[in-house]
Amino acid sequence: MNKKRCVTMTLVMVFMLLGFCSSAALAAEEPIMIDVAVINPMSGPAGPWGQIGVPAYDAWLALFNQEGFRVNGKLYNFRSHTYDSMNTPEGGAAAAKRAIFEDKIKFIVGHWDTSFLAVSAITNKNKVILIARNGNEAVPGGAYSPKKMPYVVFGTPSHERFISDIMSIAAANPEYKRIGIYDSTLGKGIGWDYVDDHLTAAGVRFHHEWYPPGTKDMTAYITRFKEAGCDILYGAGDVLAAMMITKQRWDMGLKYIKTGTAGGLLTPQMYIDVSGYDASQGFLAQYAAPWEYKNTKVNPKFIQMCKKAQEMASKKIGKPFTYTAWTDWGPTHLQILSQAMEKADSVDDPDKIMTAIRGGTFDTNAGKYTMSGEKTYGSPIVFGTAGAISMIKGDKEVYFSESPWKPIP
Amino acid sequence: MRNIFNRFVRSYHRSAMPGYVAGVLIIIVFFVPLFTNSVVLLSSLILTGIWAIAAMGFTLVLRTGQFSLGQSAFMALGGYASAIFTAQLDLPFWPSFFLSGLVAGTIAFLIGLVVLRVGGIYFSIITLSIGEIVRILALQWEPVTRGSRGIITSAPPPITLYGHQLVNFDAGPVPYFYFMLCLVAVTGLVFRGIGGSRLGRTFAAIALNPVLAEHQGMHLMKYRVIAFTVAGIFTGYAGALYAHFLSVMTPLVFGLWQSILILITSIVGGIGALVAGPILGSILIHNLGEYLSRLNTPGLQSFLFGSVMVVMILALPQGAGLIDVWKIFWRWVWREKKSELDTVSGEAEY
Amino acid sequence: MPPVEIWVDGLTQSCIFMTMAFGMVLVFSILGILNWAHGQLFMLGAFVAFYAITAAAIPFPVGILLGGLLVAALGIVIKKFVIDRIGNELYIGVATLALIFTLEGAATMIFGSDDRGLAAVLPGVYTMAGSTISYQKLAVIAFTLVVMAAMYFVLNRTKVGLAIRAVAQEPEAASLSGISTQRLSLIVMGIGCALAGMAGAIMSPIYPINPFIGRAPMIMALLAIVIGGLGSLRGAIAGGLILGFLHSVIAYYISYLSEVVLFILVILILLVKPQGLFGESAK
Repeated sequence: MNKKRCVTMTLVMVFMLLGFCSSAALAAEEPIMIDVAVINPMSGPAGPWGQIGVPAYDAWLALFNQEGFRVNGKLYNFRSHTYDSMNTPEGGAAAAKRAIFEDKIKFIVGHWDTSFLAVSAITNKNKVILIARNGNEAVPGGAYSPKKMPYVVFGTPSHERFISDIMSIAAANPEYKRIGIYDSTLGKGIGWDYVDDHLTAAGVRFHHEWYPPGTKDMTAYITRFKEAGCDILYGAGDVLAAMMITKQRWDMGLKYIKTGTAGGLLTPQMYIDVSGYDASQGFLAQYAAPWEYKNTKVNPKFIQMCKKAQEMASKKIGKPFTYTAWTDWGPTHLQILSQAMEKADSVDDPDKIMTAIRGGTFDTNAGKYTMSGEKTYGSPIVFGTAGAISMIKGDKEVYFSESPWKPIP
Repeated sequence: MRNIFNRFVRSYHRSAMPGYVAGVLIIIVFFVPLFTNSVVLLSSLILTGIWAIAAMGFTLVLRTGQFSLGQSAFMALGGYASAIFTAQLDLPFWPSFFLSGLVAGTIAFLIGLVVLRVGGIYFSIITLSIGEIVRILALQWEPVTRGSRGIITSAPPPITLYGHQLVNFDAGPVPYFYFMLCLVAVTGLVFRGIGGSRLGRTFAAIALNPVLAEHQGMHLMKYRVIAFTVAGIFTGYAGALYAHFLSVMTPLVFGLWQSILILITSIVGGIGALVAGPILGSILIHNLGEYLSRLNTPGLQSFLFGSVMVVMILALPQGAGLIDVWKIFWRWVWREKKSELDTVSGEAEY
Repeated sequence: MPPVEIWVDGLTQSCIFMTMAFGMVLVFSILGILNWAHGQLFMLGAFVAFYAITAAAIPFPVGILLGGLLVAALGIVIKKFVIDRIGNELYIGVATLALIFTLEGAATMIFGSDDRGLAAVLPGVYTMAGSTISYQKLAVIAFTLVVMAAMYFVLNRTKVGLAIRAVAQEPEAASLSGISTQRLSLIVMGIGCALAGMAGAIMSPIYPINPFIGRAPMIMALLAIVIGGLGSLRGAIAGGLILGFLHSVIAYYISYLSEVVLFILVILILLVKPQGLFGESAK
């Protein structure tokens, strides 16, 4: 009898313990991790661009994972791994192989460097979804082909953003004579025909100049712009050229010429240090701080997350974190990916996820994104992104103007 | 210039190891894909082979006393030739590949005719400039090279025999591995043949003392052009394989820094052996770079890469490459006579 | 006819190339080696000037001298601990090439790789007859003139200069007449590296500063000394002038194609004069 009771009691206790444990486990459901890779330059001359956004991106990912997302009733989180592409096709390909074959990664986000074609060749073969920007490859007539690259998503439309930059600059400076567009010969190519067509159709007056990559002395090119009657010089994202043009046009006494560049400001201080305080006043750049947008509607929840991530990053690096362009890369791409997974009811079938991405609309840090589906590029690319411009004022970056890129009907 | 070449002229005719050891090593390498299916490792080995071929070309040119800083231009030429033939002109793969090296070789021949009469650092700067011009042309000549958009290259077609698909290049890196092995073997055999032949001795004589060689009736230019052209052909093939393996050819793939890496590979490997030296150098340098790129600390990888090179050069005996160390080691293992690094004997084993 | 600004820009660039090329040639004529890491010494000079001015509030001219001194010290260290321990020219070349990676990596780890600048030093422009020139560019030109004059004085009017010229022309005879080649080569290495460091420092107000700024000036200096004729100091100056004006004046006419013209011109010069413009036939 006694023995029996003992056994029963023990059994009951064991069962209760098990019960407690399982209910505790249920209460704090362990999220399932989905590994994603970021392949960008982390070292070398382009290294600062790969490094700068990392603190805020990490903070944002932590915030995102607090809530996570649900597919088929299960809770998922993203875990991000960084690989150094060294900004070369060979380095990018090697990094992609390490990510895909050694670390079994199925998704690559936030890609922007020169290794796009080499990386996409590997990702497509292995059904890995690559979310990148559309560089020179993606415009009609470029190397991009929807048939050969079915798993490529252009999550950040660079060319379209450049067009909307120019539009908003032209709209904010109605008196402008001509906009000079500068880019290195590395960017020269068919992408500009596409941009030019849109600008001509919109009645924008512009003039192109190209220079060898790495040029520091822009005096000759500034003179050419001046002789072509340009009073605003806007570049395609080459920071060195932007700083040098801003400084040297000031040194040449051409104070009436405004300058700027596509791509976010790393920090206003860098321009002030390199180009000079006076010369860098009024410098224009792409702006990706969703809390400042006036014409683009962004989900207030996302705005809060971005602001909080910005604060967390400031705390981490010990000084104000002012770089904002990170909101538009990795985070936006992860938002597209998670929402596509929800829609597709799958986290591991790339075909289902791609079907959900094509033609879908996604709610992101940069507003509502509509993927073009088959219409423009024959494959996913986003429209409806915010096209905001900031300006250096004092030693701060402030909102200047905005011209959101209209979604394709 | 002379003392640079003294070293290797003394030792170039000695093989780095007996034939049977080389044979065993080759068989081991041949079966590597059986032991591993790591795409990363195999890719790394493929690139090692490709850079080794380029370094062999550099060493061959160096043996005629010319220091080329534009070898990556011939890789670019071969790569672009093959990419343009297959992707732009829709020619079949194998003839395109075959032609690619010949295109690079022809251009090397034409360039060589004009520039090889210039010697020393002046030749280096001319080749450096040619390398830059090739890169700029690739960028600017859009109708042909597609500029910075790049050309997407296709994989070689599957090889079928009686309706059975034997080799599929799309499936993974293993076929490319054997492709690379074949190319390295062919290049190695050709270069070994040159090195051991009368031609090779002429090269060495030219490097050692150009004036004397000319006085003895050797036609300097002729031999330099031959070496430059042969190097161009095989460097072109290496570039073509590279372009197809990477699936893309853009102007950013080959540039001055690649030429410098080829140079470092060749010299660190040891110019005393035309084939084994570059292979050894490439195994070390390429895989060191590959390994270091995993470090995510900015600057550290570059710092370590440079430091390892400097320390290694300091540690190696005066003017010796890795291959010379191997030779010393080999002789030590077999308790042979004193290393040839100390004794300048022997015209023995031609 | 291009406007004055373009000519001044060309002259400014020529000054950088000349100072760099002069240092390289000087080292070459005594040591018989090309220091491929010369550009990285330029970069370090810029960083020294940057920290001297921003962190220690040292006046700019002193910052330039400090940049030259510290870089010269590093050059001597490199000479003693790397170059002197390798007997073979070929391997010295590779070692200095490897030093490019080492120095750039070290600079990235210590300073970080983002751009810095000293635009606040010597601000303002000088306007005359409708042309505008910044004081910073005038400073570069003035500095180069002073350095060249000083070099002329050292080489032609001092004992050390006499020794340098003697060793450059007849190393064995010089050594027989009691010149310590070893000590002299250290001095020359120091001077050559100091020139690179000072060039980097004087450039710091007009260009951004990061660990990778040394590559382009090194290649340009190399091209300059080679088209000028290796080993010829006059050639280094001529080569620097040609390349500097090419960059600005030709670019004004044909924009980005100037790059192709540059390399074609280099090839043509070397084909027509295989020993460079001022070079003598090989020793």
